[in-house]
Amino acid sequence: MDQLLQHLVNGTVLGGTYALLGIGLTLIFGVMRVVNFTHGELYAFGAYMTYAFVSLLGVNFYLALALATLAGVALGAALELVLLRRMRRADIDSVMLVMIGASLVLQNAEMWAWGGVAKLIPNPFAGSPLVLGPVSVLPLRLFVLGVSAALLLGFWLMLDRTRAGVAMRATFQDPETAALMGVRVGWVNTATFAIGSGLAAAAGALLGPVFMVSPTMGDLVGLKAFAIVILGGLGSLPGATLGGFALGFVEEFAGGYLSTEYRDAFGFLLIILVLALKPQGLVPAKERIG
Amino acid sequence: MLNRRSVLLAGLAMPALATRGFAADAIKIGMTQPLTGAVAASGNYVANGAKIATEVLNRAGGVLGRPLELVLEDNKSNPREAVASVEKLVLRDRVPVLIGAWSSTFTLAIMPKLMEYKVPMVVETSSAARITTSGNPYVFRIAPTSEMEAVAFAGLLGKFSPPMRKIDFLSVNNDFGRGAAEKFAASLAARGITVGKTETMTPEATDLAAQLTALKQTDSDTVFVTTGVEQMTLALRQAVEQRLGKRIVTTGGSFPDQLIANPLPAGNESFHILFYAPWFPERAPHPAIAATYTAEWNKKGWEFAGLTEGFRGYDAMLTVVEAIRLAGKPEAEAIRAALWNVKIPGVNGDIAFTKDGPAGQESGQNRPNVSILKLAEGKTSLL
Amino acid sequence: MSKLLPWLFVAALALLPVAFPDPYLLAVLTSAGIFIIGAISLNLLLGYTGQLSLGHVAFFGLGAYTSALAALGFDIGIGFGLRITLAPQPAWLGFIAAIVVAGGFGWLLGRLAFRVRGAYFVIITICFAQVLRMVALNWIELTQGPMALISIPPFSLWLPGQGVVALYSKAQNYWLVLAVAVVAFLVVRQVVESRIGRALVALRSNESLARSVGIRVTHYLVIAAVISAGIAGAAGSLFAHYVRIVDPDVFLFIYTVTMVIMVITGGKGTLWGPVVGGLIFGLIPDLLRGHAAPEAQWVAYGVAMILFVMFLPRGIVPALASLRPRP
Repeated sequence: MDQLLQHLVNGTVLGGTYALLGIGLTLIFGVMRVVNFTHGELYAFGAYMTYAFVSLLGVNFYLALALATLAGVALGAALELVLLRRMRRADIDSVMLVMIGASLVLQNAEMWAWGGVAKLIPNPFAGSPLVLGPVSVLPLRLFVLGVSAALLLGFWLMLDRTRAGVAMRATFQDPETAALMGVRVGWVNTATFAIGSGLAAAAGALLGPVFMVSPTMGDLVGLKAFAIVILGGLGSLPGATLGGFALGFVEEFAGGYLSTEYRDAFGFLLIILVLALKPQGLVPAKERIG
Repeated sequence: MLNRRSVLLAGLAMPALATRGFAADAIKIGMTQPLTGAVAASGNYVANGAKIATEVLNRAGGVLGRPLELVLEDNKSNPREAVASVEKLVLRDRVPVLIGAWSSTFTLAIMPKLMEYKVPMVVETSSAARITTSGNPYVFRIAPTSEMEAVAFAGLLGKFSPPMRKIDFLSVNNDFGRGAAEKFAASLAARGITVGKTETMTPEATDLAAQLTALKQTDSDTVFVTTGVEQMTLALRQAVEQRLGKRIVTTGGSFPDQLIANPLPAGNESFHILFYAPWFPERAPHPAIAATYTAEWNKKGWEFAGLTEGFRGYDAMLTVVEAIRLAGKPEAEAIRAALWNVKIPGVNGDIAFTKDGPAGQESGQNRPNVSILKLAEGKTSLL
Repeated sequence: MSKLLPWLFVAALALLPVAFPDPYLLAVLTSAGIFIIGAISLNLLLGYTGQLSLGHVAFFGLGAYTSALAALGFDIGIGFGLRITLAPQPAWLGFIAAIVVAGGFGWLLGRLAFRVRGAYFVIITICFAQVLRMVALNWIELTQGPMALISIPPFSLWLPGQGVVALYSKAQNYWLVLAVAVVAFLVVRQVVESRIGRALVALRSNESLARSVGIRVTHYLVIAAVISAGIAGAAGSLFAHYVRIVDPDVFLFIYTVTMVIMVITGGKGTLWGPVVGGLIFGLIPDLLRGHAAPEAQWVAYGVAMILFVMFLPRGIVPALASLRPRP
């Protein structure tokens, strides 16, 4: 029973971070129809920026998180302007390949800049866990979970309540009509990609201090993000959130009770199952984007 | 001794020849390491060790009166590229001897090529037993096998108090991790210690909560952690979070150096099996060599932590160059034969090869030294 | 002339080990050739059905494992006290088994994956390769897991007058890969020029129209998937017997990316595209070796990928064809 409770807590903490990873990817796919293979690299970028600000420049931890997220937004905007904008008429395969090329460049540029040695980011939270009966959790993890939830909610409100959000949803539904109605589709795309990238960088900035920062940290995360998005149904934000938690719990419980070797495989098996039985994902298509 | 002197004399005579056209004729030594990809950090450390050994040796006049050139290739952390890098080194650069290839898988991938091209290789890191037992006479390993490490460790058991009674394992799911769990279990069981559970983790996993929660439930007093330095650090930090409450011993020679600058909360300590402890060069088997190596490394401004792994490249280079000197010529077959006669002091201790594997086709295996380092609140001490 | 040119090209390649016996060049070309075969097979899916599979390496890896296991033999328990045992088999048998097994999985994935299209299909194929990698990593009794299958014998062939000969030499392996590549090319050409190929092209251009005139969409897509997977399995078998070690990294994502970029660069949906693109992207990494820092080599590879896709989106072969003056 004690073990069960601990697994529940671990799964929630893990799921929260997965959800954060999933929504950025979902947003970009939903609005732009781009499968963003640089997502994992933007995650790593956010983590490295946090490391640079905190460890090298001595910036306050919370400020560093915000700056790293903004750096991710800027890098995302640059990627959109330099690469994706020129590819608007290209087919989905070509766009994917360009993004794979970009991820190779980003990852190895990071290795070049920082070296392959993993870094630890110091953080202001206590290193000892909070203990509640049989369950223990690091304060830093709770902070990450809280910020993830706040980001998810804030992002939701942005889509629902702001002009930018309306423009994004309109573009998703019908780019041509949106353009006729005065939505500047080009800038909506830039903003979408920048925000999605910012969310990935934020996830990296938040999880960098929990784990470690290394140039290849984005590889597994990129794959997991795909898994989450597929689970939730491509382009569905509630789905991505649900998919994130589903993956977190499946990995934690399967890893804890069935087999730790296959821990990472369960997520992928789950996807194949979902696709075989319910190809639209856990949340059906009509609810997509917002 | 006479032999050594005559070679040295020959070496002294060489500069005279060199002015007559040998000047640019450096002796090439090939090295393949993972310089990019998943395990690039360690590969670069080992490569750096070899680089400074090359500089130190060249400053002392090279070998056979000729300078040394280290030709370094990236095996991109995968076996196919390991083979490609060796083909480039042997066929295009025509190196007579190789050093490589960090991971056991990369080394195993290269081994058929050594037979094909008849080029010897000094193996500096790989720990799988199969490397020296599969009948490949071109393999000379200075790194310890997991079994040697386990046996050496068993000799140091008395240093732990309270004594170990029951042990669990947390191992990375590869040759290195599984091999260590198996050999340590066998070696310690022979000492009357009960062997409990083995949990594994994929090399790229970052969240180890599920494994640690499972290990927490057992009645063991010690967990052996075997993995690369990054995951080792994660395991130590997450063990605190999950309140593992057991003694942790890491194997394999890596050290979670980041925990010195960012120590675990008070009351948490860990033990680390090392082959070279750079904090205490004076306690190394050959303090002068260890001091030179450590000083040269620090002069470059490289990460201090890399010293715990970089010595492998340094010692491998010393070994290869000594073999070339003994061979008297930079030719593959002569170097292979000469490797059997190498007997030199290195950073880790004396380097000399004993025969391992099927008769007639033995590989060379060196017997290394281990020490146990204790880390508590960011401070290191030798046990 | 245009009929003769390809055969001249093949003849020139075949004479290369005699005319220019540089072992390094042969090693690089053999290694590239194995991936070109993979690219040829991928082209059938990507180029003619328009379905981008980013898990194509799954079939390659299945072929490699099947062939290696056939050559080494195995003995595994399947529960209920039952065991499956296989004595070591000759390499050519493993080669055929590799094609059959990979083709079988191609059928499975085809049935499953063609229910979804576009981005879904892409991601499901990635997941498929990942699952296989996890199985290879953890079914230790069969695959040795991360400890890898080692000591795989080289390919052996029955040669007239010499009996069964193990192919150790560079030139022999080079010719073998070249021969398989030519066969793979001819098979794909045969498929493309047959009824199946015409149906596929009809599908690619307008699926609903094709459906309405009674083309059985899934049926033809599955056939294409099986043939494509089978050829990729053959390439995997060559890889296993050439590199002589197979470990779970054979399912690496970057291998798929290599094959895809070969097809796209050369020109998807053209027979010669994968060959041209394959020669370029098969040789780039080895040409870069030693000329730049290791990370810079990867950056250059990535940049080359982006530039080719952005500025030659249809590939080199169609671009060259459009340069040729029309009569």
